[in-house]
Amino acid sequence: MTTVNIISLNKTYPNQSAPVLKDFSLSINDGEVIALLGPSGSGKSTLLKLITGIERPDSGDIQFDGSSILNIEPNKRGAVLMFQKSYLFPFLNVEDNIGFGLKVQGASLETIRAEVKRMLDLIGLPGIERRKSGQLSGGEAQRVALARALVTNPKLLLLDEPLSSLDTSVRMNLQEAIRNIQRELGVTTIFVTHDLGEAMAMSDRMALLLNGEVVALDKPENLFHRPRSLAAAKFMGVSTFLSGDQLPVKCEVTKGSSPKIFAIRPEHIRVQKDGCENSMPGVVSDCVFRGEYVEYQVTMDTMIVRARMPMPASMFPHGERVFVKFPREYLFEVQN
Amino acid sequence: MKRFTAYSLRVVLYLFLVAPLLLFVAYAFSTRWFFPQPFPVEWTMTTFQRALNDSRTLSSMAQGLWIASLVSILSLLLALPAARVLGLRKFRGRQLAWLLLFLPTVIPPLAIGMGLNILFLRIGLAGTIAGVVLVHIIPTLPYTIFTLSSSFARFDENYEFQALALGASPWQIFLKVTLRMMTPSLVVATLFAFLISWSQYLLTLLIGGGQIITLPILLFSAASGGNPSTIAILSLLFVAPPVLVIAFTARQLNQHGNEIREQY
Repeated sequence: MTTVNIISLNKTYPNQSAPVLKDFSLSINDGEVIALLGPSGSGKSTLLKLITGIERPDSGDIQFDGSSILNIEPNKRGAVLMFQKSYLFPFLNVEDNIGFGLKVQGASLETIRAEVKRMLDLIGLPGIERRKSGQLSGGEAQRVALARALVTNPKLLLLDEPLSSLDTSVRMNLQEAIRNIQRELGVTTIFVTHDLGEAMAMSDRMALLLNGEVVALDKPENLFHRPRSLAAAKFMGVSTFLSGDQLPVKCEVTKGSSPKIFAIRPEHIRVQKDGCENSMPGVVSDCVFRGEYVEYQVTMDTMIVRARMPMPASMFPHGERVFVKFPREYLFEVQN
Repeated sequence: MKRFTAYSLRVVLYLFLVAPLLLFVAYAFSTRWFFPQPFPVEWTMTTFQRALNDSRTLSSMAQGLWIASLVSILSLLLALPAARVLGLRKFRGRQLAWLLLFLPTVIPPLAIGMGLNILFLRIGLAGTIAGVVLVHIIPTLPYTIFTLSSSFARFDENYEFQALALGASPWQIFLKVTLRMMTPSLVVATLFAFLISWSQYLLTLLIGGGQIITLPILLFSAASGGNPSTIAILSLLFVAPPVLVIAFTARQLNQHGNEIREQY
């Protein structure tokens, strides 16, 4: 349906010195879901505002299917939004809320009624046309908001943390529902979140944002297992970084101008009672039982290591002397 | 015992509010009610009918309603944009804008009226409906702006962004979203403007210059005349529109209040 090209966008708000978006580029394929993951202030929401036309970029271009949309009125762009709050119009019932977009675009009443019914079936809430928006639960309201956004057959769906105010169980449910509906309609989607798990579960590719720049862009599984840069690795939950001389193993450390940095995921670090080859001694300084795994913090000579041991595992109490092993096959190199 | 006390307190309060009106009703619909008699001896409609048949009464009411309606509409039109900016935006000089807009509530209307009288005489607005409407907007505007801006301060512009992204034009957004969300406070603001204009005596007298006769003007001259029946009848007519308007809107307001509460 739509490919989206975002080409070197720059945006600085007045009265602020630092730019919100710096030379920001991103290409999204037709029907793809891109997750934008980044801390608050990384420019995620600003990007959505630029795409919908609420704000204008200082320079750069946004293209749908190869043609620029910057000079198209915001209400003619075909980019719809869904926020953390549903923003259903409180004075309209469910049917009129979903039908709002079609109505303002001049669709006939029969078309609206048929389309609303189709969307309600799609979101799994048939027959609630007459309900008031105040009578819906949080999850239902977000489903209706999704239906309202998608009924206009948009070119691009923008999701701005749509699930962050919901309970975990409802959230899981809705993640699946949104993903299925998106696949069925094949609508190109940008999904903004700060939840790593959600970003990985929902997206075809993930873009990691930091200070208005894309630090990494790849499939979730690639980013998870082998993030290329230090910043990307930190995003993906890696907290252990070793320079060449800290390694207990002799990796192929080529003597270059800058020392190389190796990283390892916390799940791959082993905490054990006995020392062996490639292990280093340390003292358990924290131990948290999390159900599926035990989280350790081990203080060593030159660093503090965070490790996750899958259950069942023997629990080492606070203060216990242990050995930490970094299996060689799981060590990977990251660029600083 | 406690319930009885609360109940009787309520009755006393209502009586306190209603008693003057009851007195007016007694005077308006009776003849020859003199001191030792506790209640009117003879009830009749003739005094009331005579007052209504007086062309001055009806024309003053019509003129007052017409002026109050115009004032309500105009002051809403002026207040909406001002209230939106004051309620939603932070900007330099915001406090000053507030101060200027609220000045009419602290400056004595006599001072404003005297000054404007001279100005309006020069530009030919004195003694005209337009002049009176304009001068009535001065005391109404602070109330309409305040009512609407406090409502805008709680307004979330994301509702408008949603409508925009769904394809609504700026006009459609204004009519179908913004005005609908603002309805309760629009009703209250209109009510304020209407009542302030309807009961305005001093400014109407100064600018109207005796040519624009509204009910308060008639009522004041009757009050100095000293015929209790006439005063009572005019007072009842004076009170009727506000009471009717409030009775009508109270239900509306309640409904909208409930809708808003459901949302949050």
